[in-house]
Amino acid sequence: MTVSNSAGVSEQQERVHDLLLGVDVGGTFTDFVFLRESEISIAKRPSTPDDPGRAIINGLGEFGWSPEEVVHGSTVATNTLLTRTGAPTALITTKGFRDTLVIGRQARPDLYALHPQRHEPLVPQRLRFEVEERIAADGEVVTPLDVEQLDAVLNRIERTGVRSVAICFLFSFINPAHEAVAAERARERGFNVSASYEILPQHREFERMSTTTANAYLAPVMARYLDALELRLSDDGADGVRLRIMQSNGGSLSASSAGRNAVRTVLSGPAGGVAGAFAAAEADGCPEAITFDMGGTSADVALCPGRLLERTDLVVDDMPIRTPAVDLHTVGAGGGSIAWFDPGGALRVGPQSAGADPGPAAYGRGTLPTVTDAHTVLGRLRPEQQLGGTVPLDVDRARQAIATIAGPFGSVEAAALAVIDVVNANMARALRVISVERGYDPASFTLVAFGGAGPLHACDLADAVGIPQALIPSAPGVLSAGGMLISDITRDAEQGLHLTVEPDAQGDIEALDDAFAVVAEQAEAAIGEDGYVEGVAIELAADLRYRGQSHELTVSLSEGQQAEAVREAFHRAHEERFGFASPDVAVEVVTARAKARHVGYRGSVGASQGAVASESASAVVTWDQARDTQILERGSVVEAVSGPAIITQIDTTMTVPPGWVAERLASGSLLLRRES
Amino acid sequence: MSTTDIDPARLAIFDSLVSSIAEEMGAALRHTSLSPNIKERADFSCAVFDQQGQLLAQAAHIPVHLGAMPESVRAVERLAPWQPGDLAILNDPFLGGTHLPDVTMVSPVFAHGASDGDEPIGYVASRAHQADIGGMAPGSMPVARELIQEGLVIPPIRLYRAGELVEEAMALILRNVRTPDERRGDFNAQIAAQRLGERRIADLHRDYGDDSYLRTTAALLDYGERLTRAALADLPHGTWEFSDSLDDDGHTPDPVPIQLRLTLTDDRAHFDFSGTAPQRAASINAVAPVTRSACYYVIRCLLPPDTPMNSGLFRPITFMLPERSVVAAQAPVAVAAGNVETSQRIVDTVWGAFNQLLPERMPAASSGTMNNLTAGGIDPRNGQPWAYYETSGGGLGGGPEGAGLDAAHSHMTNTLNTPAEALEFAYPLRVVENSIRPRSGGAGHHRGGHGLIRRTQFLGSAQLTLITERRTQQPWGSQGGESGRTGRNSLETTSASGRPVRRKLPGKVTINVEAGDIVRVETPGGGGWGAPTSG
Repeated sequence: MTVSNSAGVSEQQERVHDLLLGVDVGGTFTDFVFLRESEISIAKRPSTPDDPGRAIINGLGEFGWSPEEVVHGSTVATNTLLTRTGAPTALITTKGFRDTLVIGRQARPDLYALHPQRHEPLVPQRLRFEVEERIAADGEVVTPLDVEQLDAVLNRIERTGVRSVAICFLFSFINPAHEAVAAERARERGFNVSASYEILPQHREFERMSTTTANAYLAPVMARYLDALELRLSDDGADGVRLRIMQSNGGSLSASSAGRNAVRTVLSGPAGGVAGAFAAAEADGCPEAITFDMGGTSADVALCPGRLLERTDLVVDDMPIRTPAVDLHTVGAGGGSIAWFDPGGALRVGPQSAGADPGPAAYGRGTLPTVTDAHTVLGRLRPEQQLGGTVPLDVDRARQAIATIAGPFGSVEAAALAVIDVVNANMARALRVISVERGYDPASFTLVAFGGAGPLHACDLADAVGIPQALIPSAPGVLSAGGMLISDITRDAEQGLHLTVEPDAQGDIEALDDAFAVVAEQAEAAIGEDGYVEGVAIELAADLRYRGQSHELTVSLSEGQQAEAVREAFHRAHEERFGFASPDVAVEVVTARAKARHVGYRGSVGASQGAVASESASAVVTWDQARDTQILERGSVVEAVSGPAIITQIDTTMTVPPGWVAERLASGSLLLRRES
Repeated sequence: MSTTDIDPARLAIFDSLVSSIAEEMGAALRHTSLSPNIKERADFSCAVFDQQGQLLAQAAHIPVHLGAMPESVRAVERLAPWQPGDLAILNDPFLGGTHLPDVTMVSPVFAHGASDGDEPIGYVASRAHQADIGGMAPGSMPVARELIQEGLVIPPIRLYRAGELVEEAMALILRNVRTPDERRGDFNAQIAAQRLGERRIADLHRDYGDDSYLRTTAALLDYGERLTRAALADLPHGTWEFSDSLDDDGHTPDPVPIQLRLTLTDDRAHFDFSGTAPQRAASINAVAPVTRSACYYVIRCLLPPDTPMNSGLFRPITFMLPERSVVAAQAPVAVAAGNVETSQRIVDTVWGAFNQLLPERMPAASSGTMNNLTAGGIDPRNGQPWAYYETSGGGLGGGPEGAGLDAAHSHMTNTLNTPAEALEFAYPLRVVENSIRPRSGGAGHHRGGHGLIRRTQFLGSAQLTLITERRTQQPWGSQGGESGRTGRNSLETTSASGRPVRRKLPGKVTINVEAGDIVRVETPGGGGWGAPTSG
C-alpha cells in the first residue's frame, strides 16, 4: 500500500493508456472520446433510450474503433430511480423502525404548499419487516438478534417472490454484528443483499436506510445492464474489454463493482461533465474553477477549489443518497426557460421550460418567449448558424414571442435584455450559494462554461458574481465523455465512529488510527477486486465537528497524524469555511474515510485542431445598445478578439461582450477576460 | 416615493439578491450552532429589513416567525441611536418575542464608510429556538401560569456595543440557563450570522448606490403588496365565520374557543377574532405577532409558488384582535404553548373559514399540534445536566388532490426530528419505536394522513414535560370526510410488583420519570376529505 495525501501521486502509476474510450450516454446524444496512439478523436451519435447500449455498439462499429478499455457514464441508475423501474425490494430493520423509510425527518417538502405531497417510498409497507434486535450507541447489545424471527421474515420475503433485500439495523455502523449475521443468512438463501454497514456505515438511520434501500433497488438492474453491455462489447471482437463506470464523485470503478454498488453511480453523467471541465481548466492553468453547464432546461454549477469537491447530501425525489457525489447544484435555468410576468408584475424566467417540444419559438414550433428567443432577438444567436446542424433559427418568430412581454420595457430588444438579466440573476444566485456562502471568493476563480447555452452566458454571469475570467474548452460538446476518459479509478470506504479528541489530551486518537487502518484496507481490497493492485494510493479523510455540533466537515488527513494535528486541521477548515474556530471545544470524529486511487489517463482530451485565420463577418448585435459586432468561426480565432464579438462553433455559441477579450490558448481553449 | 420606474426585471433580480442574503445568514447559523435543536431540527429564521423595519426577505424556515420578526425590529427602536457594531438581543414575548426559548438578535446595518451620527440603512435579525432558557423545567416549556416561570425574560438590550461584547449581559444570561456552554455556542452562531448579514447588506447598498437601493427596496415592498392584492381579487368576496378550540389550558379541563370572522373584499382581508376566549393563567396564550403569523401563513399558502416573502405581502391584511385574549396576550401570563400549540389552532380556525369559501381547493384539518416533548436531568454517564426538546408530526388533512401525508409536520412548523442515532449519543435516552400510527387518519374520499407513534425510553431519572393538543378534540374532516383520531400520551413503566403498566398521561403535564420508563406519544391523524366511498 502506498499512502500519500491527495497532492502526492505515487510513481508506480506510469501505465500506458491506449485504445481507451470515454462514452457518455445522455438523453439525446451519446458522446464518444477515443484515445488511440496519443491521438484523441471525438464523435456524437443519437442516443437509443430503449436500449442505451445499442448506440455505443453501433457507434463503435461505424467508427471502426476497438477500445481495450471503456469508461462509461450511465444514466441507468438515475433513470431507474426517477421512473421507479428498479427491482422489487424488501427491507429488514430493527423492531420499531420499519416506517422510518416513510417518516424520514418528518418535514414536508414544501413549507407553503396547500396540499404537500411526498414521493412514495421505494419499499411498500407490506415489504418492510422488523426483527427483534437492538444495539446501543456505545455498541453494546441491548437485545440480541432473534435469528428465528429473522428466518421467518426471510421465509415471508421468499414467498412474495422478491429477490432483492436491504438490511438496516440501528447503530450497525458502530457494531455490525447483527447486520452481518442477517446479511449472511439472507445471502445463503440466494437473496441479492444490500447491508447498510457495507453500503454506508454512517450515523443517522433514515439517511443510511434510504441509501441502502436505493442500492438494493438499483443493483439488479444495473448488473443486468452492465453484464449485457460487456458481452456485446466482447461480441464485437473486442476481446476482454475492460468496462469501467463513472461514479457520482468523478472516479470510475469496474463494471462488476458498479453492479453491486449501483447507488454510487446516481450522478454518473453529470460527474463526467464536472470532471471534464475541471480537467480542462487545470490543463489550462486555472485549477480554481467553477464549472457551468447550461442546457435546454437547467444549468449545473460546481465549485472546484483546485480539486473536485464531494458532497454527501444528495436527495433524489425525497430520498437521501449519502454516497459521495460531485458537488453539483442545479438551477432551473436553460435556453428553453420561459419568461413570464407574475401577478405582482415582476418578470420571471423559468423554471418552466419549452423543452424540446415545442421548444423555443425560434426553433419554429413554440410560441412562448424563452431565453433562446431573447438571444435570437438580440442577434447573439445567429440565424445563419444552424443549431446542432439541423434547426434554422426563425428570427421573426422569436421577435413575436418576445414582443408578448415587451410592454413594460418599451422595445422588444429591451425586453430580450431583461430576460437575459433575470435568467443570469437566477444562475448567479446558485453560484453565490456554492462560493460566497461557503467562504470562497469568486474573484479567484475561473468560470468554465460548456453545454449548448453555457458559453452564451459565461461573461455576463462572471460579471454578475465577480468572477474575473471565463474559459471555454475546445470541445465543450463532449466534455462529459472526456471527463470519463481521464477519470481515475477510485474506491471509497467509510466508517461511522463516535470518537472525541479533547482540547488538552490525545483522546481517542488510537481508535481513530485503528479505524483508518480498517477503511484503508477496505478501500485497497475493493480496488484490488477491480484489478488494480499496483500504483494504488490511499487518501485519508475524516468527518469532524465540534462536540455538540451535528454537521460535519470532511477534512483530509494523513495516517498517523497526532491528535493535535487532527484538531489543528479541523480548526483551520472550520475557520476557512465558517469564519471562526473554537480551539477550546473538543473535536468529534464521526466518520473515517479512505479513498483508494489509481491514476487514470492524464492528457488533453480536447481535439485541438489548428486555427486558421479567415475573414470575419460583422453584424449588428444588441449589448447595452446596438453595436457593430464581429462574427467569427471558432476555428478562425488566432489573434486575441476584442468584444463585442460572437464566436460560433458546431454545437455552441460564445459571446464576447464589449469590454471583454477572447484569447486562444495552446490547448485550443478560449480564455475570456475583462479588458484592462 | 414613486417606485414605478423600477422595471420588472430589476425587481426580480433585487428580490433574488436580498433573499440570498437571508439564506446565507441561515446557512451560517445552522452550520455553526451547537445544539441539535438548531442544527438537526433547523428551528430558526433569518431576515433582512429596510430602514423602517419592514421585512425585505426572510429565509423560509419557520412560519410562526413570519409576522413576528418585524415586531422584534420595532421593539429594539427604544435602543436608538445606534452605532456600527451594535447588536441587540431579546426574547420578551411582550416586546418583540414569541416565546422565551426563541431568542432573537437584531442589529442595525450601516453603509460602508458611514460616519458618526449616520442612520442605519436597514436591519438584520435572526431568531433561534434555544433548547433551554432557564425557568421551572428543562427545555423551558413547562406547564406554567406566569411568564416568569417559563424562563429568563430578556427585554431588548444591547449584547454588543460598537462591536464590543457587553460581558455583563452575556454573563447574566448564561448564569440563568441550564446548559450555558451550548447556549454560548448557539449565541456565537447567531452573532456570526448577524455579522455576515450586516456585511452583505452593506455591500448590496454600496453596489446599488444609496438612492437606487432605497427606491428598489420600496419597489420590492410595493410588488409584494400587488401579489397579495392580485390573489385577493381572485377570491370570492364576503364574510365567513369559523370557530375551533384548544382542548384545555393545562390547568382546567375547559376547552378554549377561538372565534374568527373573516371578511374578504377586493383589496383587503380582515381577520376579526372577537369572541375568542380571554387569556388564561396558563401557557396557551399567544401574543399578537404569533396570531398574525398564523394568518399570514394561510394567505401565503394561497399565493403562487416561489412568491417572495416581504412585508408588502401583508399590507392588505388587517386585524381585530381582542385585547388580553388568547390570541393577543398581555403580561403577566405564560405563553410557551401559545407559540407552538395555539398558533396551530389559529391556523385551523383560519383554514376552516377558507374551507367554506374555497371547498374545491382547501384540504381538511391537519393534526393541529406539535406534540412538544421536553426532558432533562443529570446525565448518569457524565454527571452533566442535559435538556432535550423534540416535536413530532402527525397526519395532514386529506384534500381535493389526494390523501394527506402521514407522519409529517404541518402548518406553523417544519422542524426535523432528531435521529435516534444522533440523540442517543447526546442524551441518556433510547428511541424504542418511531412508527406510523395505523388507522389514525380520518376516513374520506381522500383520507387524512396517519399520525406517529414515538416511544422514548429514559436511561436515568429525569423530568418530563408534554405540551400536546388534539387529545380530546379531533382534527376535523371536510366535505363529508371524517375526523382524524385524537392523540394519546402515556407512560410505560413497571408497578411495585414488577408488572409492566401503561399509565395514561394528560395532554399537558410535567412528571418525574425513572430509568427504564418509556414515554409513548401517539400523535393525531389528519381529517379526511370528501365522503368515504363505500365498499
